[in-house]
Parts: sequence; C-alpha cells; structure tokens
Amino acid sequence: MSNGTPAARGTNLVKVYGEGDAAVRALDGISVEFAAGQFSAIMGPSGSGKSTLMHCMAGLDTITSGQVYVGDVELSTLNDKELTRLRRDRIGFIFQAYNLVPTLTAAENITLPMDIAGREPDKAWVDRLIDTVGLRPRLSHRPSELSGGQQQRVAAARALASRPGIVFADEPTGNLDSRASAEVLGFLRTSVREFDQTVVMVTHDPSAASYAERVVFLADGRIVDEMTEPTAEKVLDRMKGLGD
Amino acid sequence: MVRAVLKGLLAHKLRLFLTAMAVVLGVSFVAGTFVLTDTINKTFDTLFDEISAGTDVTVRAASGFGQGASTETARDTVPASLLEVVRRVPGVAAADGSVGGYAQFVDEAGKAVTTTGAPTLGFNWTQPGLSPLTLRSGREPQRAGEVVVDAVTAKAHKFAVGDKVKVLFRGPTEEFTVVGITGFGEADNLAGATLAIFDVNTAQRVFAKVGRFDSIDAKATEGISALALRDRVAGVVPAGVEVVTSQQVADEGADSVQQALGFFSTALLVFAGISLFVGGFIILNTFSILVAQRTRELALLRALGASRRQVLWSVVGEAFIVGLFASLVGLGLGILVALGLKALLAAFGIDLPASGLVIQPRTIIASLVVGVGVTVLSSISPARRASKIPPMAALRGGGVEQGGSLRRRSIAGAVVTALGGAALLRGLFGGGISLVGLGAALVFVGVALLSPLAAVPMARVIGAPFPRIAGMSGKLGRQNAMRNPRRTAATAAALTVGLGLVACVSVLAASIKSSAADVVDKYLAADFIISTSNFMPNISTDLAPRLARQPELAAVSALQTGEWRAQGATRGLFAGDPATLGQVLKLDVTAGDAGGLARGEVLVGEEELNDKKLAVGGTLAMTFARTGTKDLRIAGTFAENQLLGDYLVSTATFDANFTDRLDFAVLAKSRAGVSPADARTAVERVTADFPNVELRDQAEFKQQQEDQVNQILGLISALLALSIIIALFGIVNTLALSILERTRELGLLRAVGMSRRQVRSMIRGESVIIAVLGAILGLAVGVLFGYAIVGALDDEGIGKVVIPGGQLIAYVVLAGVAGVIAAVFPARRAARLDVLAAISHE
Repeated sequence: MSNGTPAARGTNLVKVYGEGDAAVRALDGISVEFAAGQFSAIMGPSGSGKSTLMHCMAGLDTITSGQVYVGDVELSTLNDKELTRLRRDRIGFIFQAYNLVPTLTAAENITLPMDIAGREPDKAWVDRLIDTVGLRPRLSHRPSELSGGQQQRVAAARALASRPGIVFADEPTGNLDSRASAEVLGFLRTSVREFDQTVVMVTHDPSAASYAERVVFLADGRIVDEMTEPTAEKVLDRMKGLGD
Repeated sequence: MVRAVLKGLLAHKLRLFLTAMAVVLGVSFVAGTFVLTDTINKTFDTLFDEISAGTDVTVRAASGFGQGASTETARDTVPASLLEVVRRVPGVAAADGSVGGYAQFVDEAGKAVTTTGAPTLGFNWTQPGLSPLTLRSGREPQRAGEVVVDAVTAKAHKFAVGDKVKVLFRGPTEEFTVVGITGFGEADNLAGATLAIFDVNTAQRVFAKVGRFDSIDAKATEGISALALRDRVAGVVPAGVEVVTSQQVADEGADSVQQALGFFSTALLVFAGISLFVGGFIILNTFSILVAQRTRELALLRALGASRRQVLWSVVGEAFIVGLFASLVGLGLGILVALGLKALLAAFGIDLPASGLVIQPRTIIASLVVGVGVTVLSSISPARRASKIPPMAALRGGGVEQGGSLRRRSIAGAVVTALGGAALLRGLFGGGISLVGLGAALVFVGVALLSPLAAVPMARVIGAPFPRIAGMSGKLGRQNAMRNPRRTAATAAALTVGLGLVACVSVLAASIKSSAADVVDKYLAADFIISTSNFMPNISTDLAPRLARQPELAAVSALQTGEWRAQGATRGLFAGDPATLGQVLKLDVTAGDAGGLARGEVLVGEEELNDKKLAVGGTLAMTFARTGTKDLRIAGTFAENQLLGDYLVSTATFDANFTDRLDFAVLAKSRAGVSPADARTAVERVTADFPNVELRDQAEFKQQQEDQVNQILGLISALLALSIIIALFGIVNTLALSILERTRELGLLRAVGMSRRQVRSMIRGESVIIAVLGAILGLAVGVLFGYAIVGALDDEGIGKVVIPGGQLIAYVVLAGVAGVIAAVFPARRAARLDVLAAISHE
C-alpha cells in the first residue's frame, strides 16, 4: 500500500442509534483519513463517539449514512461474508479485554486469523513479531497462564501477524498498569516505525495517545481538533478543553 | 426469594423449555403407559361383566389347580344331563349349557381369518337372556350346517346371510351356511376375537364334547340372590363340579387379563423409568451449568444478606417449578403417547382393544410425583454447590468454571461402578430382576462419575481428524469439547445410558440368533416344521395323521404343550408321539428307557432331574387342571434339548389330562431318497386344507427365528429411542448454555474473521464429539452388560456371546449424525450473534 492512498477513510459518517425522540447521533457527519504507515489515536470524552467511529471504520458496525473505505474497498457494498473476510485478511484488532481464545496457546492465538483462513502464516514475519514483543518463552502457554500485559502483547502480535492494511486498537491498555501499558504501546509504535504498519487506536489516556504520531479529538460525534507530534501534556491540556 | 426464582425462570423461557423437555418426555411415557393399560383393563372389565350380565350362577368342573384358577386354564367338562338337574332347582328361572373351543373362519381367498392376538372362538347359541349375543340380522343357528358370525368378521370378510363359509376346527374343516350376524352386547365383537356360533349339537360335535358342556349358566328368579342360588345349586351337583356366582367368573377373567397386562405395563414403565433416569442426568447437568454461570448473581444475593439456605432453596425451588410445569405438560402428552404406544404395539403385531381413554387419579399423582421428584432430586447437588458460593465471588466476577480435583469424584465413581457391577451380576445369577435394574442404574451413575477422566483423552482421539477436515473450526470444536470435562462427560452420559442399553440388547439379540441357528442344527432332525404363524396351539389334530399317510414322509410327529403344577409352581411340558418323536427330534436319552413314554410315563431333562432331586424310576406328582394330581413314573432322562424343555410325555398322556387338544407344531422327516421338492409337494398337499398353518424347512425355520428376534430387538430399540431423544435434547441444552457462556469468545472469533459457516462447523464439531463419546462409552458398557446377561443365560442355551460389530459401528456413526442434528439449533444461534454486541457482552 503506497503512502498516497490512506489505509482507511470515512466521509460524512453519520451513525444514529434509536428512532424519533430517542434518536442519538453518535457520529454526526465525520470525515476522516488514516494514512498508511502512521500511528493514529482517536481521543475524546465518554460518549464522544470515538468507539463507534472505530467500530464503523473496522466493519464491525454499520453506518447510517456516509462511506467507509478500507484501502480501496467501500464497506457498504459488502455482505456479511465479504465483511468477515475483509476483517480476517486486511484488518487487525486489539480489544480492551478478552482478546484471546482461552483454549488456544499464545502461539496459536497469534496465528489464529491465518488459521481461520486456512493460510500458512509468514513464518519469518511472525517470528520477528514474537521476538519484538518478547513472548518467545511464553508461546506454549494458555491465556489463563499469562499476565494481563502479556495477553495484550499476544493480542497485538495477533493483530499484526497477517500484515493487515490497518490495525484497530480499542483501549488496548485500558485494563493494564503503566508498565504493561508502556510495553504494549512501545510495541505498537515499533511496528509502525520499523515495520511500516498502520495503527489506529482509540484511547482516553493522554499518555497512551502520546505514543501516536497524530491525535484526532472527538466530541459529540464530531471531529473537533487534530494534533501531530503529541505529548502527554499537550493532549491532556486539549482534553481539559473538551471537558472530560 | 420466590419472586426472584419466578423472574429468573421467565427470563429464560428457552432454557426452561429445553430443561423441561427431558422431564416432559419421561413423564408422558409414564402417564401414557398408565392410561393405555387402565384403558385396556377397563375394556376387559366391561367385557367380562357383559359376558356374565345375563346370568347369576355358573356350574363348571372343579379345576385341579384349585379355587380361583384363571378361566383360561382348561377344565374338564360336565355331563349335559346336569342341565336338567340345574333347571329343576327351585329359584332357577332359566339355565343353559355352553360349549366352545377353537374355530377359525376361512375367507373367500382360502386364507385363514386371523386376529392380531385375540382368540378365534366358537361356541353354541344359548337361550336368549343368558348370553350377551345380540342378533343384528338373520336368525340364530338351529341345525347342523348353520353358523352365526360376529359383525366385525362379517364386515371385514364380506360374509352375508346365505353365504357358504369354511371353518377350521381341531378336527376336520367343515362348511357352513351363514344364517345370522351377531353383535356382542353393544359391541360388534368380543374384544377383537372372531366368533362362530353354532347350535348346541353342532357345537358339541365339532368341539368333540358330545353329551358334555363346558359350563352351565343359570339365572335366578325374582327375589333370589345369586349367592342363595349358588348354594341351592351346589346342593344338587355331583362331586368334582363346582358352582360359583357369575360375578366371580367375570372377576377371574378380568384378573387374568390384569395379570397379563401387569407384566406388560411393568415392561413399559421400565422404559419410562429409563427415560426419566436419562432426564435426571440432563437436569443435573443443566442446573450445574446454570449455577456456575450465575455464580456472580448468587454471590450478590449472598452479599445482600441471603442465607445459604435461601440460595439452596432458590435453586431447588426453580427445579420444583420446572418439574411441575414439565410434569403437567407430560401428563397431557401422555394421552398422545398412549395412542402412540398402541400404534407401536400394533405395528409389532400386538393389537389391543381400547375404548374411551381412562385417566385415573393414580395416573395424575404418579406422573406429578415422578416428574417433580426426578427434577428436584437432580437439582440438589447443584443447589448445594450454589449455597457454598461465598459472597466475595460477587466481587471477583467470572469464576465460571469450577475445576477442582476429579479424584474424590473418581473414587466415588469407581466404588459405585463396582457396587453396581456386583449387584448386576448377583441379580443375573439368581438375585432377581430388580437387582439387575438397580445394578445397571448404579453402573451408569458410576460410569458417569468416572467419565470426566476419560472425556479429555477420548475427545482428543475422537476429534483427531477434525482439524484436518474443518481446519481451525474443527480444532476449536475439539478444544471446546475438552475444556470442561465434567460438562462434556455429563452431557455424554445421558446418551451413554440409552446406547448402552441398545448395545446390550443388540449383543443379546445377536447371541440369541446365533444360538437359535445352533439349536436347529443340534436338536432338530425334521425336514419340515409346520406351525401357525405365531406358534399358537391351533393346528388341527387331523393334520398330523394325514401327513403320516404320505408315502414321501418317513416320520411325522405332532407336538403339544401344556401347563401343570407341582408345589404351587406352574411348569410346562411337551408331548409328542413316542413312535416317531426320536426321528424328528434329536432326542438323546441319557438314562432309563424312552419306551416308558408309550406307557404313560414321563421323561425329565437331565439337569432338571438333578435340580429337583428326582430319580429315574421314581414318581413325579403332576397336577393337571382337568384331572387333578397324577403320579407319573419317571421313565428316564434326556440331554438338554432347547426345543423340548424339561418334561416330556406322550400325546396319549396329554389327551388323558388336558382338554381340547390342538397341536402347536407338527414335525415331518422325508423318506430317504425322496427329493426335497417332492417331499415338500407331499406336505403341501395336506397343509393346503389347513389354511391357518405355515410350512417351513430348516433354513426357513432358522430365518423365522431370526426374524422374531429382530422384531423384538426392533420393538425394544423403538422404546429406547425416547431416552436417546432425551439425551439429544441434553446435548442441545448444554451447547446452548455453553454458547451463552462463550458469547465474548464467539464475538472475538467473528471479529478476527471467522465466518458464520466456520462458527457453525465449530459447534457441530463439539456436538459430534460429545455424541460419539457418549455412544462409545455406552457401547462399552452395553457390551459388558451383554456378556454378563449371556453368561447368566447359559442355562437357557445361549452359549456364546456374539458381538454384532457392524451394528455397533453403525450406532456410533448414527450417534455422530445425531450430534450434527443436535447442533443445528445451537450452531445457528452462535452464528447469528451480533459481533459487536458479543464483544461487549458482560
């Protein structure tokens, strides 16, 4: 994927929950692009629509109107089967919790999307990820035998294992202490800088956002600001302005 | 607390439905059995009351079996002259004698008119008012050559007044003119029996009772009670004749039917019990899963101040409501089941008469008690576990799967299995059938307790090909089956019971079939076997002598069977022609002299002789219903012969002590040098005149034996099918609950790219593994049971165990298919989960 086309983009995204008087506009006409090879963060107070935006961009949720492109594919044209395949082959996911299948080992969890697809994983690439993330000695362990930080690092490695066009991370450090958070975020940053991957992360933690190269601020379903080269202090200041 | 229970139940209607299904099916079986047997009983009660409605007192020969012997045992006749004596007794308004026996119509096509179980009866027309016969058209029979036919037979075979019709008797076949059509009281016939009614002289002649009556019925004049009349008549009859009220005769008849039905109803209740036993496993398992899933909720209740006891009762209370609900539904379904069972039995050739359905209070009470009882009992262990959840669990969250060591459980399982095995063997080798049942139940419980140990390795092996077939979803399905061995094992255990019993019966059937073929080779010398289709003793005594005159045949012997008593126990005997018996059967006389048979002596089986401590040359006191106790000399012993039983007398001895002889089989051996085809033609020349008999050579006879075993196997399997269906509901239930538990995991799998099809295939894989696991365990247990039973039946001539390998493999395959079916609904549910909602599911 060249640097010219964005890894994902949305135009005039509207997402309405409910009907009539009870209708809530979770996304209120958002247009956004996530450049390939970039580590982006989406920030905003609770209820700002940041998770909804991510879910819609990642094909987990449908939008009420507007267009979402992952690479050059417009998601609204896809049926469930095609969406599933898109998620499997072109998108990586890291959730806040419960990222791993408890019956599979760490190694099996990492290659899960390829195994589901029935494809051979790129062994050299997976090995490189495992070493970078520092999980080599824990590969044969089940999730229940791993710490929370280790589990999230497995999840991160899984998200990148199929070299997806884009990785969506939904509060990946929400349940972790600061040390474990730093390990996970450091890995994500390394994967972007050194391995040329694309990561979009939803977070409400300014220090997590500071690992990103670009921060998009949301409030009430609209994009209210953008920041490049963020630091924790700058993000925190901006967030205060949004009243979080 | 009650409200919390009710709300919890209503919140999960589907779960309630699935759990209840296990009980509903079992209870409906129980209720259905009761309804069916009560209905049949009622039918016969009414029938026997109707038969005796017109009369007050019955005069008949006393039975050698004593007072209260059933009406079916053959009594002697009384002289016809006694009728005039009875008529002259003051207080007798009317009296008439009746005489009857075997009479079977032949239809226009020349085939014998058969019933499916009911007798084919003939008797004389008695004075109006004394019999329940009601002419529908034509007139009563008045002279030789006239017959009245019951309305059902007449309609079914288009017999009309004026038609000629042939009737089979114990003697020669005769032709009659139909002069009337009769009903039986309100009904068109007598509970399915065919009726041929003659004038009294004809009846006495064709039933070979000239100058005799079976019984004399008398009606009292106004103002005289049946008891008073009985005593008056008793004063004038000779010794050996008894006088009883007609009500007693009716009661005896009803009693004997009830006894026969009692066995039948017990057999059906055993199958109902098996279904409920299986249902118990499922309820136990369901409640265990529910308690585990609700750990947080229950802990919260505890944290809010509910006592352990309250938590315990909330689970038991839920079970009580489920049980009650299910029992009520089951009761309603039971009526349908009664109709279904009747149809099933009819399909296997056992046709039962039934009028309006009878639902007794006992049926309702038993159904509710059994249904609620099983449900509540099964919930106690999960409820106790629930009551032990500490309030802190509410804060810790999750904690769904309680692991813990399997050691205590396994030790308990081993002990229970051993106890059950011991009880089973003890029961089989003399301890009685209820001990067998208890032992089998204990073995199944023990195996269920032990099976979690085997579940993981077995699931690994069974599921070994899955990853190759279905890739990642196959692998995950296998892993899921292995992740909670208790749950997998408990779910599979339900299937283990049903398939264990099916396998046991299959082994038994295969062994019997193989032995039956051996028996023919070992004990039968005849080339042809003539019998009625269901081995009823209905062969005319004319057949054997006519056959014996065929030059193509070297030896012919008719066989009879009868009952006699010694020390209050009823035993059976066989009778045959001493001159030819040794040529048609391989009769191996091991001591004494078979020639004694011709002198009215008895031959006793070697083992029986030793068992009963008898001696050759000694006497055996045999009590016959007709002639009372007779001392027969023991002429000798013979080596075990499966076709003959333990006691053998001559046909002449049989005739001297039994009434109404009819042969139950005729055996014939062809002369040396006569081709089988020619011999067969010769036999058929004779049998053509007896349309109720069937002719078989040795190979056909073996085949028939095999068919009969197959038919019984089919019937038992059909009855066991219900427990297997219940077990499948159990799999559905477990899978549905597991899916609920794994919602987030499923959401994750869908998010990272698992297609719906793959999700379905994953659930299917798990289901198939559980089903096949249960099947294999069941087959293992069943085969062992089969070994034990065949061992116990060694005396009955089932020598060796035959394992029907192909059949057993087919069962495993079928179990796998059933697993696929059981997974349909849960798999669809799992595949339809909304990905986003599933991920954020708490």
